[in-house]
Amino acid sequence: MRLRPPARALLVATAVAILGVFPLIFSSPTSTSIAVFTLIFMVAACAWNMFAGSSGYIALGHAVYFGCGAYTLTLLANHLGFAAGWGVFALVPVAGIVAGLIAVPTGLIALRARRHTFVVITIAFMFIFQLAAFNLGFTGGSSGLQPPTPLWSVDTYNLNFYYVTAVVLLATFVLTWLVRRSRFGLQLLSIRDDEERARGLGVRVARVKLSAFVLSAIPVGMVGGIYAYFLGQIFPQFAFDPLFDLSIALMAFIGGLGTLVGPLLGALVLESLQQYFTVQYGSSQAYLIIYGALFLVVVLLLPRGVIPSLEELISRARAEPPEQGPEEPGRTADTIEAVR
Amino acid sequence: MSASSLAKAVVDGILTGGVYALMAAGLTLIFGVMDIINIAQGALIVLGAYMSYVLSVHLGIDLFVGLIITIPAFFVLGVAIEWAFMRRLREQDRTAMSILVTYAVAIIIEGLLSVIFGVDYLQLRASYVDSTFHILGFYLPYIYVFGFLLAIGLLGVLYWILYRTHFGRGVRGSLQNRTAAELIGVNVNRVRAVSVGIGVAVTAAGGMVFGATNAFNPSSGYDLISRLLSIVILAGLGSIAGALVAALFMVTLEDVVAVVWSPVWATLVYYASLIVVLSFRPGGLFGSAAVRAQ
Amino acid sequence: MVAAGVLAAALLVGCGSSSSSSSSGGGSASNASSNKSPVVIGTSLSLSGDFSADGQAFQKGYQLWASDVNKAGGLLGHPVKLDVVSDASSPAQVVTNYQKLISSDHAKLVFGPFSTLLTVPASKVVNRYGYAFVEGAGGAPAAFGNGLHNIFDVSLPVIDNLVPFAKWVASLPASERPKTAAYATSDDPFTQPQIPLAQNIMSAAGIKTVYSKVFPAEVTDYAPIATAVASSKADAVVLGSVDVPTVSAFVHAFIQQHYSPKVFIATAGPDQGAAFLKAAGGAKNAEGIMYPNGWYPGYANAQSQKLVSEYVAKYGGTPADVNADVAEAYSVGQAIAQAVAATHSLDNPKIISYLHSGVTLNSVQGPVKFNAQGENGQAAAFVFQWQKGNQVQVLPVGASGSKPPLIPKPNWGS
Repeated sequence: MRLRPPARALLVATAVAILGVFPLIFSSPTSTSIAVFTLIFMVAACAWNMFAGSSGYIALGHAVYFGCGAYTLTLLANHLGFAAGWGVFALVPVAGIVAGLIAVPTGLIALRARRHTFVVITIAFMFIFQLAAFNLGFTGGSSGLQPPTPLWSVDTYNLNFYYVTAVVLLATFVLTWLVRRSRFGLQLLSIRDDEERARGLGVRVARVKLSAFVLSAIPVGMVGGIYAYFLGQIFPQFAFDPLFDLSIALMAFIGGLGTLVGPLLGALVLESLQQYFTVQYGSSQAYLIIYGALFLVVVLLLPRGVIPSLEELISRARAEPPEQGPEEPGRTADTIEAVR
Repeated sequence: MSASSLAKAVVDGILTGGVYALMAAGLTLIFGVMDIINIAQGALIVLGAYMSYVLSVHLGIDLFVGLIITIPAFFVLGVAIEWAFMRRLREQDRTAMSILVTYAVAIIIEGLLSVIFGVDYLQLRASYVDSTFHILGFYLPYIYVFGFLLAIGLLGVLYWILYRTHFGRGVRGSLQNRTAAELIGVNVNRVRAVSVGIGVAVTAAGGMVFGATNAFNPSSGYDLISRLLSIVILAGLGSIAGALVAALFMVTLEDVVAVVWSPVWATLVYYASLIVVLSFRPGGLFGSAAVRAQ
Repeated sequence: MVAAGVLAAALLVGCGSSSSSSSSGGGSASNASSNKSPVVIGTSLSLSGDFSADGQAFQKGYQLWASDVNKAGGLLGHPVKLDVVSDASSPAQVVTNYQKLISSDHAKLVFGPFSTLLTVPASKVVNRYGYAFVEGAGGAPAAFGNGLHNIFDVSLPVIDNLVPFAKWVASLPASERPKTAAYATSDDPFTQPQIPLAQNIMSAAGIKTVYSKVFPAEVTDYAPIATAVASSKADAVVLGSVDVPTVSAFVHAFIQQHYSPKVFIATAGPDQGAAFLKAAGGAKNAEGIMYPNGWYPGYANAQSQKLVSEYVAKYGGTPADVNADVAEAYSVGQAIAQAVAATHSLDNPKIISYLHSGVTLNSVQGPVKFNAQGENGQAAAFVFQWQKGNQVQVLPVGASGSKPPLIPKPNWGS
């Protein structure tokens, strides 16, 4: 959305302020618990979108990095004898970096393929890691692992996790914003529009794709570590969970694939709604039907996602030509040419 | 571990592979023609199993005979799904959208089945489910053999439709280039609807055989879909023969590894070998056979 | 606009947490309770998802307990109101759920969820609030020894499940004892720890291991594994299974391969009564199959019999349909009720100390006495066997109610 810088800055400041005071206003542990999970998904969806939304490559295997982050944090905390408490949070960036390192070989292999094959390769990697977690000794096998349990009180436990995750969210958002504004980001978009043409124009396609892929894995690994610490237990089938992959893709999509803010909105709405839904209506078996139908209605009515559809509405209301965005095929390649 | 165990594993793999090929056949057709990743395929298979269950338990109709009812019913269902959901997907973002839309359909199907049938596990029973052919020292269960033959038969029919009929030419044409196909008079919308219909109709048969060889409940679809996707991609989109070969290969490989090494690593080898093959032939084993280039 | 969206969603979340919960309660209005305020007992159960069959059985057990307690006057005169929320078998959800139950719904007490996978994260949350966490279905080693003092499992610790069976097999006279054994287990924190213990006892008695493998929990095609077990022609099969489909797949594969072991025990699945019979293909196929458990519908215990008849009266079916989960859940309620009565309070810290005091309580599953980790070592450890379509207690040999075990297992369908 094209806003003048002062308006935009004000919007960002308001959002950050809300982020900051939310748990102080809605301080019941139920709300803050849902909020922590929501933030975790917001980070994951945002990071995923940075790669998938911009490049058009739908990766359904980011659970690999989530799980690697979870196991890294837990293994390091246990083996290095970290006392339960704030100290363990220092391992969160480490979890992210390890996830990023793992993204290099997996990304190299997966990105050699296109479109559908790429999707299936990412899914295959997810299962490989899940199975490895089940069977390798040091991962605790089917019994999983437990990180140290912080002894914070009921009032502060959720808050501490909330703020740590909020910081990670801000950092991730800034990262995606910087990427989008940069030439690197433009190159990604050009790959989405027409990969061959981008290559022909001199874009180092393989390198760009891999870099974006690895960058997207890091925040996912970080929140994987946070998740493990928050829950106090990781099991292989939950750390490497195919439903996680589908969820973050859905969140990014509902919000608006390729937009900056879309995945945040998608995650916010979907994750909090999903937990709320389960708590209120989970007892009825119709919950699945309602959830799926709701899903379907949103996806079909707002096929481009909430943010782009809203933008369109506003532009039409203003009777302006719609802003040139990622939907315009071919233009970004020309833009790169001009920028070079 | 003896030679006979190994041979048994291979035989098991071939028979089970046939069942998987049947389940994957519908998926590859939809995939290839519609360019759609149908996550709901697992749920549709489970739905097929439940339909066969109802016919068999409440109406006393034999499992194979019941297909006369379920296959046409599923054809209609497939056409309906194409018309209601898939047609509305825009060309762009089709891959992403198809994942999400079909995931939603899968959840709805699971929810409906949970409400109607409950969550207890069921298995399709027929008087001959435990009977076997005794050949060369191997016991081959009737149901696997019949399922395998059914799979070959239906795959053959599909192949014939795609490559020997006028309609099939239209399908393959619109696979390659929709606009050109329209220009020469192919009614692309109808071709797509019928293709999805056929793809889903075949799934009814797959569901029946699956339900007869596995215990299932409404959530059983999730386990299946990743394997089916692997088979289809390995085969090469839209390739029916490829789906059969890939299914036989992958399932047999897994069964052999389970016997030779260990069952827990077998599944891992399955996925790892998928990656290895795809790294060398990204289009799939039969990727060049009259299917759309990526 | 984004801010507005954020605000809207935030309000939704905030509002959601304070609205009233859906309580599908067993707190029926009763004549015996006074006008004292109801005591809310919260629990999170898997009413959908992977554990839904067990979750729903648990719900019935808790509800039966609540209605029985209310008929008898409630807890210290307060009527009991059950607050059940669903976790869809998800650990992330269970964490939120217990926080909702305790802080938003003001539950005075809580009952545990189903399965170790959910029990572990839930117990940590509940511990932060200082609540007692009595549960009946989180018995794998991962649940204990975390330094938590509030967790109490009324059911048998899982790891010892197969020991009575293994000891019995080892003690058989040489003419009857199996010479070889095959061990196959699902990759699961519930089954996997049980097998090595049994294997050690049996091999020490000279029973040779001819097959010993672990298979992935998510496998849908058991045929190759079952065929491999059949090829080993082992006299005894020890199967680490978690549910009916696994066991039934092995049964059918064995039948197809014309292989009938002399002894066949499965860790879970055959305990599911009628559901197991149906899947296995009838009583003739189930004949002789053994399974460990703490409880079964025919258990010779007055409270247990009363539970069974109440269940049948309320939900229909036959006594054989009563799932062991129902008894586990009911026992959880009983433990809490006795602790409340003994301490004359609903105060969690007092309840926790009482339960850790070495006292022996009673339940439909037999005696309940918790060790320092919260395990109930006194729980009845039986082995049952399907005989002529009935679930018969056979081990320990000579224990009250034990009938002679059928050995060798008859051939399929005979």
